[in-house]
Amino acid sequence: MATLLINGKSQTVDADPDTPLLWVIRERLRLTGTKFGCGVAQCGACTVHLDGRAVRSCQTTLAQAAGKKITTIEGLHPEGRHPLQLAWVAEQVPQCGYCQSGQIMQAADLLARNPNPSDTDIVTAMSGNICRCMTYPRIKRAIKRAAQQGGA
Amino acid sequence: MTTRLSRRAFLASTAVGSVGLTIRFPLFGAPDAAAAAAFDPSPTLTITPDGLVTVHITKAEMGQGVGTALAQIVAEELEADWKDIRIDYPVASEKYGLMLTGGSWSVNWTFDALSRAGAAARLALIDAAATSWKVPAAECVAERGVVRHLPTGRSLGYGEIVKRVPITKTFSEDELKKITLKKPSEYRVVGRWTPRLDIPEKVNGKAKFGIDAFVPNMVYAKVAYPPTREGATHGAIDDSAAKRVKGYVATVALPDVVAVVATSYEAAVKGRDALKVTWNAGPNASVSTESIFAKFAQAKDDPALQNWHEQGDVRSAMGSAARRHEATFTTDYVAHMQMEPMNCVAEFKDGGYDIYTGSQFQTFAVGTLAAVLKVEPAKIRLHQHYLGGGFGRRLEPDIMLETALIAREVKRPVKLIRSREEDLRRDFYRSATLQVLKAGLGPDGKPVAWENTLVASHPGRRWGKDFVDKQGLDQFALNGADHVYDIPNQLVRAVPVETGISVGYVRAVAPNYTFFAVETFVDELAKLAGVDPLQYRLSLLGSSPRLARVLKLAAERAGWGSALPANTGRGLACVSAQEKKTPTWTASVVQARVDPASGAVTVEKITCAVDCGIVVNPDGARAQLEGSLLFGVSNALKERGTIANGALVQSNFNDYQVLRMNEIPELEVHIVESTEYPTGLGEPGTTTVAPALSNAIFAATGARVRQVPLLPDRVLAAIRAKT
Repeated sequence: MATLLINGKSQTVDADPDTPLLWVIRERLRLTGTKFGCGVAQCGACTVHLDGRAVRSCQTTLAQAAGKKITTIEGLHPEGRHPLQLAWVAEQVPQCGYCQSGQIMQAADLLARNPNPSDTDIVTAMSGNICRCMTYPRIKRAIKRAAQQGGA
Repeated sequence: MTTRLSRRAFLASTAVGSVGLTIRFPLFGAPDAAAAAAFDPSPTLTITPDGLVTVHITKAEMGQGVGTALAQIVAEELEADWKDIRIDYPVASEKYGLMLTGGSWSVNWTFDALSRAGAAARLALIDAAATSWKVPAAECVAERGVVRHLPTGRSLGYGEIVKRVPITKTFSEDELKKITLKKPSEYRVVGRWTPRLDIPEKVNGKAKFGIDAFVPNMVYAKVAYPPTREGATHGAIDDSAAKRVKGYVATVALPDVVAVVATSYEAAVKGRDALKVTWNAGPNASVSTESIFAKFAQAKDDPALQNWHEQGDVRSAMGSAARRHEATFTTDYVAHMQMEPMNCVAEFKDGGYDIYTGSQFQTFAVGTLAAVLKVEPAKIRLHQHYLGGGFGRRLEPDIMLETALIAREVKRPVKLIRSREEDLRRDFYRSATLQVLKAGLGPDGKPVAWENTLVASHPGRRWGKDFVDKQGLDQFALNGADHVYDIPNQLVRAVPVETGISVGYVRAVAPNYTFFAVETFVDELAKLAGVDPLQYRLSLLGSSPRLARVLKLAAERAGWGSALPANTGRGLACVSAQEKKTPTWTASVVQARVDPASGAVTVEKITCAVDCGIVVNPDGARAQLEGSLLFGVSNALKERGTIANGALVQSNFNDYQVLRMNEIPELEVHIVESTEYPTGLGEPGTTTVAPALSNAIFAATGARVRQVPLLPDRVLAAIRAKT
């Protein structure tokens, strides 16, 4: 039994302590906005925030997450209107959409620490997140748009 | 296989693909008592009494924005108010005709039929309103979801009509064909900026992909796969350790794989990992990249070579040519690497199967499952979800079949999610290829004879006889080799080769490798003739003015001919992808820098111009073009699948690398205005990148690289071979 503080709610989960947080979030708590892409921290689709910092939930165990504040895409903003989410719609970023939760959570971590990122800052922060549809140019534009509108 | 449909037959009659032949009308209840009634003028369209228009999207949504585009087509002729438009993705059914998404076909196949479905529904609504007012229908017009009687100004919304007025007008196939559709100049939805309907739920985590499906009482399966891609079988299975895993439910042995079922995903992983399976690796245990290319090299001289495309007399023209040139091109295996690993939920219930997944080819999936599971096709209920990338991978029903077979044994709903490693190992790759091109040039330097011997594995041969021609050739493994250059004598000879490595359709399919060879070779001929590659191509495009136009446009916008720094070059490619019958005329100029010391290539900029006819959703079109070009960069620069011991060597994104944000070039895309019938945009851009980049490398270094991907060691070897 572990207790998780996720999106402001306390949830009890009966799973082994070494279970990847990803599978707890997705298959137990059914917060399916967080995606499974590679399982080895190569693609970023599973990115969530742990105490405010972006982590790969496929490489974070249940034990490591217990007692920390977890935020998933569903909890990024109460109405789904985080400046990045608005910018993602304005720039019509997603194609298949599968990686976009992870992209947005990674970008949110960037803007929280660096409200006015340069192109280089954006590329450095985002190059761990793969988009096979190749929406990268629009992701860049959306991050800039969100930053201009007071993004964090 | 009762519902297996001939793909070719549908290629010939695409207009009826998704709308059905006759518009049907249901009976309606009495006025005011019909709150639950809806108007379903065609299987793809429902208007409810609340005034909402739901367009049932029978194409897979895998990022191309197809739902929005198809709804725009319907809304245009229906004269619906866009704010009333909704879309859904119905359970697969024969009433939708061929459910297949690929080939950049969706808009091309449905534009006319959906336009007519929308127009017929509009005419029926006008007719119903006019009858209720006892006025001639000719005095009524429909606009923005309202029918108006012009002389009196009376009006009724579509929802009100559906609610209150019996709709009786029907259309035969002939009557449908006779409806006069709008002229492009009259469009107010088609061609207008329209935000995609699927995007809002793709930024808040609510979009449901196949992997997000849950069914009550569901258990999880993980599968032990054999060591080789094809031909292996399992021998002894020892599941004693698996049985000790907490949550273990069952072990299921299928003909070629073994599954462990457990109550949670992680328990299923542990159980599967604890299995001891003895594998018989089968006949392909020693297949490797080297053995495959050795087989290809033999096959190119096979006397049984078949002529796929032929015009004129190549042999005599080649013999009398002033000069001849020959070159060999190879491409490596490419994996789909769609972001959502293959997955499925299946439940055996009431003598049938509920299948929850995302499919690009529901018709094929339902037919295959029904045949193997021995049930009627109507008993396969395929619940469509968003696809976390398709790129051709989700044309295949393999994961559905595997899951359904396991569910049948355990008699509980089963969720199966492949790991990335399993997904990659069980992929159906784009075939490796070998192409030998020969040309004979006339005294003016233009080709008079052209010959291409194309060795590849043909995916359609695995799918069955409906997917190959009489010679056993899959046209989708060959398209593009029949390029549109004006060359009087041409021959394309095809050699399908079985390798023990499963091949399938990967975004942009054959034109990736055919146009790589064609467009690089044309550049070589231009060089031989001493003519600028742009002018040389234009001199051969007299019968394809639309391609000449985009080629000139791309060249002009890219500054073709202007000076560049050292080790930097521009290259061109122009294509008639995806198919010669329905081409999207596409031309790209790639500007690239080569590090002569390492051979590393940096793509700096791509300028692309496209003529795809009428553009339904301009921003969606642009997004498809951007994505397809960058997918092409990824293919051209990085993606090399290699084979050892009968299986793919690469296992995950660490060793099968795809393009990341730090590697993308600047993009400049131009979509020309056109009133021609629309073609497609999901793939053609991809096919221009490898040849244009290879030509840019030549322009930068004078070295020809005839192998894709254009890896640094290959570029370096070509540079060294030159000096």
